[in-house]
Amino acid sequence: MNWTPTPPDDGVSRRSFLAAGATGAAITTSGCIDRVRSVVDQNTDEQLSLSIATVPADSDRQNIRIARRLEANLKKVGIDVSLDMRSQSELLKSVLLDHDFDIYVGLHPASYDPDFLYEALYSRYADESGWQNPFGYSAIYFDTLLENQRHADGDERKRHVQSLLTGLAQEKPFEPICFPDEVRVASTDRFDGWADRQDLFASRHGYLGLEPADDTDQLHALVTDGRLTRNLNPLSATFRERDTIIDLLYDSLLTEHDGSLHPWLAESVDLVDASADTDENDAEDDPSVTATVTLREDCQFHDGEPVTAEDVAFTYRFITDTSWNLAQMPSPAPRYRSQAEMIDGITVGDDGYRLTMTIAGGRAAAKRALTVPILPKHVWSDRVNQYAGSQTFTPTQGQWSAVTASNIPPVGSGPFEFDSRSEDEYLTLQRFDEHFTLREDVTLADPIAELSEPTVAELRFEVDPSSPSAIGRIADGNADLTASMLDAYSLGAIPDSSSVERLETQSQMFYHIGFNVRNEPFSNPHFRRAITQLLDKKRITEDVFNGNATPVATPLTGEWVPDALEWDGEDPVTPFAGSNGVLNTEVAKLAFERAGFRHDDNGRLLGGD
Amino acid sequence: MLAEVLTQLVIVISILLPIAIAVFIGRKRLARTRAEWRTRLRDVAPAIAVLLIVLLINRLARQRAPRLSREIGLHLTSELYNIEGEFILLFQSIATPETTAYFSLIYIYGYTFLLLFPPIAYFTLSETRTFRRLLTAYALNYVIGLVLYIFVIAYGPRNLMPAEVAETMLFDTNPQYRYLTREVNSNTNVFPSLHTSLSATVATFAAMTRSTFPKWFPVAVVLAASVAISTMFLGIHWGIDVVGGLLLAALCVTLSDRFVGRWSISEELSERYPQFEDRFPWVDRDE
Repeated sequence: MNWTPTPPDDGVSRRSFLAAGATGAAITTSGCIDRVRSVVDQNTDEQLSLSIATVPADSDRQNIRIARRLEANLKKVGIDVSLDMRSQSELLKSVLLDHDFDIYVGLHPASYDPDFLYEALYSRYADESGWQNPFGYSAIYFDTLLENQRHADGDERKRHVQSLLTGLAQEKPFEPICFPDEVRVASTDRFDGWADRQDLFASRHGYLGLEPADDTDQLHALVTDGRLTRNLNPLSATFRERDTIIDLLYDSLLTEHDGSLHPWLAESVDLVDASADTDENDAEDDPSVTATVTLREDCQFHDGEPVTAEDVAFTYRFITDTSWNLAQMPSPAPRYRSQAEMIDGITVGDDGYRLTMTIAGGRAAAKRALTVPILPKHVWSDRVNQYAGSQTFTPTQGQWSAVTASNIPPVGSGPFEFDSRSEDEYLTLQRFDEHFTLREDVTLADPIAELSEPTVAELRFEVDPSSPSAIGRIADGNADLTASMLDAYSLGAIPDSSSVERLETQSQMFYHIGFNVRNEPFSNPHFRRAITQLLDKKRITEDVFNGNATPVATPLTGEWVPDALEWDGEDPVTPFAGSNGVLNTEVAKLAFERAGFRHDDNGRLLGGD
Repeated sequence: MLAEVLTQLVIVISILLPIAIAVFIGRKRLARTRAEWRTRLRDVAPAIAVLLIVLLINRLARQRAPRLSREIGLHLTSELYNIEGEFILLFQSIATPETTAYFSLIYIYGYTFLLLFPPIAYFTLSETRTFRRLLTAYALNYVIGLVLYIFVIAYGPRNLMPAEVAETMLFDTNPQYRYLTREVNSNTNVFPSLHTSLSATVATFAAMTRSTFPKWFPVAVVLAASVAISTMFLGIHWGIDVVGGLLLAALCVTLSDRFVGRWSISEELSERYPQFEDRFPWVDRDE
């Protein structure tokens, strides 16, 4: 049941190293590796070299500063390092779609529920492009842990998640560094009640039920990331980490608020445990649930077409195969992959509003599967047919037009519809007057009752070049809210003024480094561990984040974290190989030698043997 | 925000230019220019047209070029950084609030002034070749710069070592300037430094015309050197970008000598093809 760690100091056993190498080789994808600089030649005197990919300071100042600290320490242990800087969407393309990287530093979107780890780590996804297993990690034992947590609920699930985190902390396909404080500023000139919603801006509810002053009909928000003006495809992997805007444009069956789920596009969802005995074909006794979903009647997409159970069924099937059976191989979407895969079967009722879904998972994971944005079948199937009709129909998984196209204007059924945009300047949404939350006869239960209606006629997201200038504009009363999370270095610029409110919440997203375990030497877990010991997480949160972050050893917080992995002044598994921010080069080098590497007389780390 | 920054820029420049005209050009030359401006304008019109077209292309390319660049460009940030490392941090050793203010002003106002004054000065010369060469050199700078920006995708030092340059970084100390610079440039356009190349171009011309404008020459050199240093001091460019800018300036000045004839196009046309003027009378409508 519990994870049994290999003692960290026993070097690398020949068998496990070979096994790691074999998995690495088996799942190496073709192409594009010429740009990756890692070179490990078995009996070489060549220095080991690797590249760290991240985004420029203009996009996120914390990432590059973490990368530079890592770079400095890697150099100290004798590794040749280069920094590969990409724009946000290009970095995600390299990492998620092309798998063309060695190490990257980034912000993981994570989720309110631990099941996101299934998508992040499941073996079978290692060859796919998208948010599914970008690391290329594959271990049968992990798959079991991932399945276990998915199928369990309550305390049992908690135990499975804890085992999973324990294993993760040993294996380290990626290494979480810290959870940042998400800080925003808002102007109190035109809106009230900011403090009550400071925890909500990651979700659609942050922008619903706003409390404008009498003559205000527009929220003017500032973003420091222009990607939302370029692409509004819900299935795009590279144009956003977080789906807030998509969730305003598209509805999902359930909506998440403060970690729990509430009926949204579905008027009701009844979950019944389908006991193992009905599952005769399935050799495993994985429990599943049957969800009886009743949609709200008379809902419309933004183009006036009705929202029906067919659209819901289409959405889940489409995510599983975006080529819609027109290609030889299924082409799963680079988003929502594992959520859609949980749906074993969908039966659409005769009236068009009722459907029955068999969901392979426990209640918690099953509910999360129902948060996928519902796409209009008529729009997307037309699109696929159009592409399929063309001469060169090659629905390359995760990379073909259906999942990368800008999808502007988007047609959803959400509380706001697309109005206009100008690339890298602004995106304007307008209230969708037909949305069910505006109907007299629809009453939503607490706690989302007051957080559901589009109360302003317009949401304007303007791209501002940087956090300090965005703060300046809020202070001058020229905008209402900084929608993006502010960079930590700029927080000192927040004025002490009665018209400016500082909003703060701990982020669900975490900073991390990710390894491409498809390639050597990153396929060697001991090598990965040695690298993570070069990260002084505590000092990073102090210096890079000015204390506005919490260092961690796990990608989840709170109840999920086993006691042994709680942050305790230092990383409980791979503590920093040094003290007071200064690397102890000898100790750090030793970790690499234990991982099977050696240094030459000039202190350069050579390829493993 | 943009309007505010632009207004300030216009005000400062419209104060600096008249002063410079009075100090560096002199009354006699202005008087002669007043008498001859029509003929001179006709001579230099093609050079002005070329520059305007280049600027227009530049403007339009702002939308297309980034996409093209993503397709065919080379990511070279790591190469630039591997070659010169933290060289530009040398300039941080002279960082004080005063030098930061000086170089920030130089980067925005000094540079704009440095580019706008020479065309005015050279227009007052009775020979028009210098003016035509200058504008051609400007146009070449922009054209070659644009092409290099498409092929080279690289971020400047401020994007790689933000903490080290934070104290002098223009956009940290004066975030409002971001509204201005993002109108004219993307953050991956660093090689070569067009600030440096255009300033060096101006300084080279100032050297060539120093017998005519003796007072302008030292001012231009000091300003141009300050602009080049400011780009590194403020963390915007790498040392290699500045070297690239200097080479580009040398190339553009040389090419302008080759491309621009001894006589203006209209003079040449009227000499070689006298019938041309009869057929296209508007070419000569001022007389």
